[in-house]
Amino acid sequence: MKNLTPLTADIITNNLVPQRFGKRGMIWTGVLVAFCVVGAYAYFLQLKNGLGVTAMRDYVSWGIYISNFVFFVAISLVGSLITAVFRLANVKWSTPLTRIAEIIAVSAIVFASLIIVVDMGRPERLFNLFIYGRLQSPIMWDVIVITTYLFISLLLLFFPLLPDLKILIKRKELSVKSLGKFYSFLGSFWKGTRLQEKLNKRAVNILCVTIIPVAFCIHTVTSWLFATTYRPGWDSTNFGAYFISGAFLVGAGAVVVAMYIFRKAYTLERYITELHFDKMGRIVVLLALLYLYFNVNEYLIPAFKMKNSEEAHLTDLFAGTFAPLFWFAIFTGMLVPIFILLFKRGRRPLPAFIAGILVVVGAWFKRYLIVTPTLLHPFLPMTDVPENFKHYFPTWQEWAIALGSLAGALLIITFFARIFPIIPIQETINEQHETVAK
Amino acid sequence: MKQLQNKLRIVILSVILILGIKAISFAQDPTASPVLLDLKYYVSDQQVPYVIVKTKTKKERKFLPVKGIPVSVFLNDESNASLLGKVVTNEKGEGKVVIPASFKSTWDSSSAFTFKATSEPVGKTAALSGELTIKKARLVLDTLNEDGVRSIRVTALEKNGSEWMPVKDVEVKIMVKRLLGDLPISETESYTTDSTGQVVGEFKRDSLPGDIKGNLILLARTEDNDLYGNLLVEKTLNWGKPLQDNNDAYNSRSLWGTRYKTPLWLLGIAYSIIIGVWGVIIFLVAQIFKIKKLGIEPIS
Repeated sequence: MKNLTPLTADIITNNLVPQRFGKRGMIWTGVLVAFCVVGAYAYFLQLKNGLGVTAMRDYVSWGIYISNFVFFVAISLVGSLITAVFRLANVKWSTPLTRIAEIIAVSAIVFASLIIVVDMGRPERLFNLFIYGRLQSPIMWDVIVITTYLFISLLLLFFPLLPDLKILIKRKELSVKSLGKFYSFLGSFWKGTRLQEKLNKRAVNILCVTIIPVAFCIHTVTSWLFATTYRPGWDSTNFGAYFISGAFLVGAGAVVVAMYIFRKAYTLERYITELHFDKMGRIVVLLALLYLYFNVNEYLIPAFKMKNSEEAHLTDLFAGTFAPLFWFAIFTGMLVPIFILLFKRGRRPLPAFIAGILVVVGAWFKRYLIVTPTLLHPFLPMTDVPENFKHYFPTWQEWAIALGSLAGALLIITFFARIFPIIPIQETINEQHETVAK
Repeated sequence: MKQLQNKLRIVILSVILILGIKAISFAQDPTASPVLLDLKYYVSDQQVPYVIVKTKTKKERKFLPVKGIPVSVFLNDESNASLLGKVVTNEKGEGKVVIPASFKSTWDSSSAFTFKATSEPVGKTAALSGELTIKKARLVLDTLNEDGVRSIRVTALEKNGSEWMPVKDVEVKIMVKRLLGDLPISETESYTTDSTGQVVGEFKRDSLPGDIKGNLILLARTEDNDLYGNLLVEKTLNWGKPLQDNNDAYNSRSLWGTRYKTPLWLLGIAYSIIIGVWGVIIFLVAQIFKIKKLGIEPIS
């Protein structure tokens, strides 16, 4: 056991203020920017030549763009879990994870909104949604709830940041000078008076209460985009709960991955400890079991009945062309992470990180499996259509745009961590004082 | 010893049985079935005549389509000048060749034709050939209304030199065109022309919904007639029940209504949630300004 010096306010501040990118940081950012540039070029081609450059046709009109959208919406729910649920439940150990969770939520929801516009083909027609939109349409509900969630997430990111901005303005020598003005613009008014703190605390509490139902709404409404459509695989009353449980799982998995990367990149071992991995590992197991339970409900019962209309879709998933991907998603996204994280050794940082990656990768493919196979199995048989209407495999433009959007979301998180403390400084100092006082 | 002999017999019998079954199954090997090439001729009063070539093979007592066979179709002889077109059969084993406009004079000058189809060997499929001889004919459809009874009269005419002559013993079906198929005009499935080349069928579908004006499309056709192929004639008549344009469902407040016909309960719920949540957001933004104001004011 290493004999560590006690954490004072100065040490905490020095450890947690944003740091310049090192060599690895520059390479990481460069790779992400390269993905974004290729994605932007592919989008330019799509705008120029139309949606014909994608593999989407009359039947599969929702391809990996919508899979990506559902994935982003799902992952964004983590903000409400880690920040709101844990804060309201007075879970103290989650403090170093709150900002990580919130920035994941904000970046994911920003790209969820963008990827929908990409899927439209004619983005200028987005305006028509506001002119001719019908409140009866679940798509309209989704637009409203995504916008609302984005604003609430931004506020939930901003309010707890105010005390840290004061520290950043005060300790200019620790950060880049050019950022000073930006910090002052955002929070020079924060003096840390009792009244300000009271108002801030109240605002955060109100946000925590508000964000939970909105988070449930955002993913429930996303599930209704599917469930309100009468199609094999989507015609389910289980969909809302099924989507939300999956969203919490992928969000928690993403937080574990981010925890490990930030811990390594910024040497935060004293703040993001093995305890955090142990606790988050337990939560991931719980959420994976919950999601597995909903999966059993979602697939086993229709498979037991095997209605004619659903048979082709289900057999294609279980033993047909989609079977390798389906079982990969089930094993990678749920069973293997449960197996790893059930054991104490598996909840140490590296195994937990691997389990987190498996959860996220499995979750992405799971969303693809929710969207595409159903569209390839319409109730009325496909007749007199060109051969390429009957299959779907994304073109390089679709892959480039989808990967570009994922890279874009990671880039937001990367730049945020460069500009703002990824672990709340003031809250950590306060908690340290409370611990010492006890 | 006897038991051993019995066991030996069982083994030998089993081997013979297995080999026998295998031999039978090999005899029915689908790969051994030849590919057949058929031709069908279609003409209607509203379309340019065309020929459909069909490639198929027999497997387990069923005909299955063979796709990807390139077929050349000729008129009368297999010369380049008589080539009507080339086609590759699709997943249904079919390919369509429309008679080109360049053949109009040849087409108009004769009253009988032979279509010839040939294909080169492709993979395991040997070279194929098929032939279809047809006589030029057409159907004429008109209507009768005697004592309030609506009937349809169809005349089959065959081209004989420059004359169109009525022909007897031609089987004709008289139908009404519907969305997913054709409906016979009465219980009679088909009619055969008499010595005047005519058939008369009573129209018994009085209450059949038509379009918004009550129009129905009546048609008469021959199906794979040995001499004349597939003849078709269509006529639009105002014999149906006009379709009622039911806009009530769209004019009332409903989930499928237009933008301004949203159900009140949905408007109530949606706006309550939107106003409630955005009220909180506006309140919180106001809190930021309040905190800002407190920070700017000198601390007393």
